Amino acid sequence: MAIVGGDYERMPARTCATMGTVVSLRLGGSAADVDSAAVEVVESVFRRWDEQFSLYREDSELSRIARGDIRLTEASQSLRSCYALALDWRERTRGVFTPHRADGVIDLSGVVKALAIAEAGTVLTARSPANWSINAGGDVLVGGNAGHPEWVVAIVDPGNRSEVIANVPLGYPLRAVATSGSAERGEHIWTPRDGEPSPFRQVSVFAADIVTADVLATAIVAGGESTLSEMTERFAIDVLAVLRDGQLLATPGLRRTA
Amino acid sequence: MRARAVALATLASVSIVGIGWQLGSSAIEASQSLTASSGGTATAAAASAAQAAAQSGTFTGAVVPTQYGNMQVSVTIANGAITEVTPLQLTNRGGRSAGISNQAAPILRSEVLTAQSAKVHNVSGATYTSEGYLRSLQSALDTAGF
Repeated sequence: MAIVGGDYERMPARTCATMGTVVSLRLGGSAADVDSAAVEVVESVFRRWDEQFSLYREDSELSRIARGDIRLTEASQSLRSCYALALDWRERTRGVFTPHRADGVIDLSGVVKALAIAEAGTVLTARSPANWSINAGGDVLVGGNAGHPEWVVAIVDPGNRSEVIANVPLGYPLRAVATSGSAERGEHIWTPRDGEPSPFRQVSVFAADIVTADVLATAIVAGGESTLSEMTERFAIDVLAVLRDGQLLATPGLRRTA
Repeated sequence: MRARAVALATLASVSIVGIGWQLGSSAIEASQSLTASSGGTATAAAASAAQAAAQSGTFTGAVVPTQYGNMQVSVTIANGAITEVTPLQLTNRGGRSAGISNQAAPILRSEVLTAQSAKVHNVSGATYTSEGYLRSLQSALDTAGF
């Protein structure tokens, strides 16, 4: 299934580079153009999260904690809340997802991008009733209420990145999707228990919110099939997983109805 | 009769706490609501728990609404020990069924859901970097969209 040159809707997008990736913003409905003010608002949300939490910035609050310049107990309320949220997710995934690097440094990058997307979405909804979609490095959140025409997201084929596996409608209640895997950045996720490579080349998780989608996509790649079974049982999510040999696994919600 | 009811409520609490570690925060909420409902009789419940311990059988807990949906468990007791806890209803948030029916299963590419309109707005793949973006389908979509 090729996407480029296909019959996609012509819809203006505005992009900005942030957090080491690119954010694409679209407004649907009657808004013909994404207005510059909306782009600036979204950009400022991402910039603020990045300035506080990036370990690539020496002056970020999290870098100062990593160096020991300030103690966690002296950190801002927002940083401690973010850390608490990440620890919650560690519990929910039984330690498969963790906010701690191997060297013990607190690394909140596993939740920060999703939190920035979520906040940007809240701001966009408050600004304008128009429908919107935000895509930050393949993590997609769409606005809009039940009954609104759906946003369609294409899931890339990790075996051939110019092809897609599926065109999935996103909308209430599952407004978010995140995809994790080893296709783009090398083997950047490994199983924490036995150090084996993940059985999955790619995992896409559809959820009601982008943090759940993002964390669980990471956790399922890292935790393998047992984590996949457990998370699909416990959370209201849909999952499309690509095994190493290219075979697909999908939850019933992603099955074409006969 | 009242003692038995309280004992059952206690057992239900115990059973839900027992599966709490499996079901995560939603179950913890459920146990809190059950505990709250029997709060005034905590002493009586503790006293009668030992008495109830000799019972055997399968007991079905009340349906407990949580923010994620309804939850209900049954517990099997043999000689005063819990031998099995069975979730009868798991949470069902957003209309998607949770539980065994939501297991991911092998699927052919031709069987994957496809939007009725072929119009694609976004592409999701494994995280792309700023450089990777330029080679991504999303970049093509964004470029073609203006």
